[in-house]
Amino acid sequence: MSQPLLQTTAVAKAFGPVVALRAVDLSVAPGEVHALLGANGAGKSTLVKILTGVLRNDSGTVAVNGEPVLLRSPTEARARGLAPVYQDPALIRDLTVAQNLRLTGVEVADVRRELAAMDLDGLDLDEQVRDIPLPFLRMLDLARALVFDPQLLVLDEITAALPPDLSERVFAIMGRWKKRDRSVLFISHRLAEVREHCDMCTVLRDGGNVASFHPGEGGESQIVAAMLGEASAGVRDVARERRAARERNDEEAPRLVVRDLLIDRQDAGVSFEVRAGEVLGLAALEGQGQDRLFEILSGNARAAGGEILVDGRPLRARHPYDAIRRGVVLVPSNRLAALLPQRPIRENIAIPLFNRVRRWGPINTGRERRQVSEAVTRLSIDTRAAAQARRLSGGNQQKLTIGRWLAAGFRTLLLFDPTRGIDVGTKHQIYDLVRELADAGAAIVMFTSELREIGLVCDRAAVLHNGAIVAELPPTASETDLLTAAHGLEVTAV
Amino acid sequence: MTTVVADPAVRDWRQTLVDRPAVVLSGVLLLLYFVTGLVAPGMFTPNGVRSTLLLACPLAILAASQTLCMLTGGIDLSTVMTANFAAYVAANQSSQGPLAALSLALLVGLAVGTVNGVGVGVFKVNPLIMTLGMASVLLGVVTVGLVGDGFLSGSTRLLPVLRTVSSGTLFGPVPNNVLVWALVAAVLIFGLSRTGLGRAVYAVGDNPIACRLAGVRIWQVLLAVYVLSALLAALGGLLFSGISGSVGPDQTNAYLLPSVAAAVIGGTSILGGVGGYTGTILGALILTVLNRLLLTLDTTEAFRQILYGLIVLALAWVYVRLTGQRGA
Amino acid sequence: MTATPRAEVATPLPRPTGRLERFARRQGWVVGVAVLLGALILWRSSQIPAFGAFEVRGIVAGTMTLALLAMAQTVIVISGGIDLSVGAMMVLTNCIAARLMLDQDLGPVVLVALLVVAVAMVLSGIIGAVAVVSGVPDIVVTLAASFILAGLALIVLDGPGGGTNPRFQELLVGGFDQPLPATLWLAGIFLLVWVPFKRSRLGIATYAVGSDRAAAFLSGLNVGRTRVAAYVMGGLFSGLAGLVTTAFTGSGEPRASIGATATLTSVAAVVLGGVALMGGSGTLLGPVLAAFCLALIAPLMLGLGWDPNYAEVARGVIIIVVVMIGGLLQVPRRAR
Repeated sequence: MSQPLLQTTAVAKAFGPVVALRAVDLSVAPGEVHALLGANGAGKSTLVKILTGVLRNDSGTVAVNGEPVLLRSPTEARARGLAPVYQDPALIRDLTVAQNLRLTGVEVADVRRELAAMDLDGLDLDEQVRDIPLPFLRMLDLARALVFDPQLLVLDEITAALPPDLSERVFAIMGRWKKRDRSVLFISHRLAEVREHCDMCTVLRDGGNVASFHPGEGGESQIVAAMLGEASAGVRDVARERRAARERNDEEAPRLVVRDLLIDRQDAGVSFEVRAGEVLGLAALEGQGQDRLFEILSGNARAAGGEILVDGRPLRARHPYDAIRRGVVLVPSNRLAALLPQRPIRENIAIPLFNRVRRWGPINTGRERRQVSEAVTRLSIDTRAAAQARRLSGGNQQKLTIGRWLAAGFRTLLLFDPTRGIDVGTKHQIYDLVRELADAGAAIVMFTSELREIGLVCDRAAVLHNGAIVAELPPTASETDLLTAAHGLEVTAV
Repeated sequence: MTTVVADPAVRDWRQTLVDRPAVVLSGVLLLLYFVTGLVAPGMFTPNGVRSTLLLACPLAILAASQTLCMLTGGIDLSTVMTANFAAYVAANQSSQGPLAALSLALLVGLAVGTVNGVGVGVFKVNPLIMTLGMASVLLGVVTVGLVGDGFLSGSTRLLPVLRTVSSGTLFGPVPNNVLVWALVAAVLIFGLSRTGLGRAVYAVGDNPIACRLAGVRIWQVLLAVYVLSALLAALGGLLFSGISGSVGPDQTNAYLLPSVAAAVIGGTSILGGVGGYTGTILGALILTVLNRLLLTLDTTEAFRQILYGLIVLALAWVYVRLTGQRGA
Repeated sequence: MTATPRAEVATPLPRPTGRLERFARRQGWVVGVAVLLGALILWRSSQIPAFGAFEVRGIVAGTMTLALLAMAQTVIVISGGIDLSVGAMMVLTNCIAARLMLDQDLGPVVLVALLVVAVAMVLSGIIGAVAVVSGVPDIVVTLAASFILAGLALIVLDGPGGGTNPRFQELLVGGFDQPLPATLWLAGIFLLVWVPFKRSRLGIATYAVGSDRAAAFLSGLNVGRTRVAAYVMGGLFSGLAGLVTTAFTGSGEPRASIGATATLTSVAAVVLGGVALMGGSGTLLGPVLAAFCLALIAPLMLGLGWDPNYAEVARGVIIIVVVMIGGLLQVPRRAR
């Protein structure tokens, strides 16, 4: 057969000390729907950005139809026939769809034609982008990409949060593209879709590709195994030992009770309990409501219904201060939101200490210094670049966001993907810290997008899917089971 | 998400510049003073120093207002109006005795600051517009008060204590108003660096989202800042009236833009989160000396204006280059 | 073994916003201002027994400057910036025009007019370029620029002076009772300059850059160029404002305080006209209408027998109250 439509050879990319891609070889044949799979942080989006000209690879080559290409900008990538459709549509919210199209030099009539082919020509293109629901914006973005008639359509998690009927139209287009001997690079977490619609799949793990095969053979378990690898077995034993050694007091009333909390949907809510000294792990795929759940728990948003009980008393928070006062604190994954970038480490750690007027007076510098240095030592924060928090490495920044609560004190700790984008060494420091904090009596709820962490750190696991808890599993549950449940599928009891 | 690990060796000198802008600014000030002294030898006498300090004081107090607001990412365009109004009230009510008159003047500041603070903190109005509107209101109130039987008409007599404090001399090169200035400076510098409120001010300007997540109620901080700003403005107006020897409805107006410039030159970012009063003091001194230089050079008003603008721009540009604080 | 669930329910298309609702949502504020203006004009006309062309001309010609400055500020604010030097630019162009037009015939005067506007556009473009290249926030750059421009004005005219051609004055602002020229000019600028701009690619790009600079960049827009273009356009309007001042007053006056006051009023008009200071939304019409509203406050008070000095208070209070209400209304929409 002919040469591959797209071939990457040993493509590598690092962001400072963080290696996002190791040496990725990807090969997509013409007329093929090729799935790109991998756990969060495996490098999928970095690879996609390189293929679509948003980022430049540090080394390795990208070849289209056998010819090596240099993709210096999104425009160049498009000219080479590589067109992306991202999860977040690249549309400007204050403008109408028609205006957005004009900006990027796309004819409105062409887009309408594509929309008609998708049976969506009822969409009003003179609406402002901010007024159109996300699923339809995705379809618009797709129609726009189709106008360029790309050789390779790169669909980045397009079906995430798309209702089934719209997903079907996407698959129909993928089929159409195949028939025309063009190809699709399909990134998705939905393994069932991958198995049904894709000819080939490549699995990324830790920045490198580990397997390429036909997803139809072998079933989901093979995919999941490739995504997860063998690495985690040994470390889990250590965590198991610690759990066995710890005495648990089951009669104690739970510290945090969540009952029928309505996050996104109106028909089902989230319910769970956490006791002092316990770490509850929460697993979910992207966009299942976990962001909103944590916002509600930490007092930054209000739930549409249901209740939260802290130490037996209801918590009706209108501002994070209300939750913090009850000892419920949040470590968000987005460090940019949580840090004071231009302020030094000391001020970052100490800020919760001054969140009420009573504390506006002179600071007892001795006491502050002690509290801060305790937190710094406990977390082994590298203080060389102490002057401005934005100069710290990602790992140190994350430790800072945890450190501030160590200094301020808490009873219930909410951790949202605390190790995202952090180097392995720091990750393990954080795991140890979480267990220590639990041992010292804190109740901890930890959402993680890396399933292996559940086994390493948590006492129980709950799986969130589509705004509700769909499964509660022991921490010894295999990652396969967790991933399966996260997809909304039944976990077969062993 | 970028992971930048600071490389200590390379960043050292730039670091010092950024972390201690006072050092650089002092150098600039001394240089400028020397150059000015070359064309106006009077600068090197105690009297010369005294007059520089005397003139810089009200500017520095008004610039203190701006510094506070800018640290939270805002600005206060109503300071000069508050200053004028407060000065007028004090002079107007001077017959009631200094305590009453001064209290009333400060009360003006309190009232203005509260309205500004509520507007910006609670109603989330853009500070530029809120304080702008306030300035209009104040201008109108003062004008109305002055006309005919208005509440500000009637004899105005400058409080003697003001005159002494504002234009008297302590000894040699040190005018009395430096005492007030020093007190204000001490309170501000201590307050910003060593109190919980000070920390909250920097935090709100740096990242309000992080503040909210840490439980800080931002509107409280903003209210405090704008009230303090207006109180300082009132104080500035009082001091100025003491120097000029009279009161007028637009006395301090020429100081508005320079007060912002002094804060910017002093290293306070207009976007918030970075800066402090130390730099502003030096900025005010630099501008005052610069003014003196330009006056002495016998240049036209035109040339003075142009040079002023160019220098402010140049210093701001240098700051951005050095600290990497780029505009949003 | 599981299969993808077949679609049983078709996702309904978003209900297209009715034309009326869309109009209300997007132009609601401007309509409000227009209604307010209409009411104010009616009120004013009821105060004067013989309300006619003279009064209209007075209103229109007298507000033209502010309206033009509001236009200048609007374009720049929509692009995500702010320009504290528009007033100073107006003063500068006023002085240049007055000086060069003194005792000249209509022909040369018109040429001077074109030259002056061109100069304003170039200078404004330079200011914008400095803001873009240096990374210094707009507010600081334009603040410094306001000093520089004021100084330049003093170089051109060291005191009030200069003059212009009477025919030119008539042409631009009309004689004593001719409201038409001024009205036509404003309408003409709006229809012939703004409307095509707004529909053009550059116009859309300007909104895009003001709305979300990062997304605009990712969409392939040249953000820097777009911002500078907005400043150039602002220069066009503020240059015209200076010309109108020359025509209206028949002279030039290099007083910096005029510029400062005018600038701040232009910002007020922009906000009252429904344009968000953050950028990315709003139209030109709103601020222009708001400028007229602001200008009518003093005469109305005069007519009521009130102390016209209260006009200033009223103006300030109106600005604050309107913006507070506007802020409350906008917050849910603007929540990111």
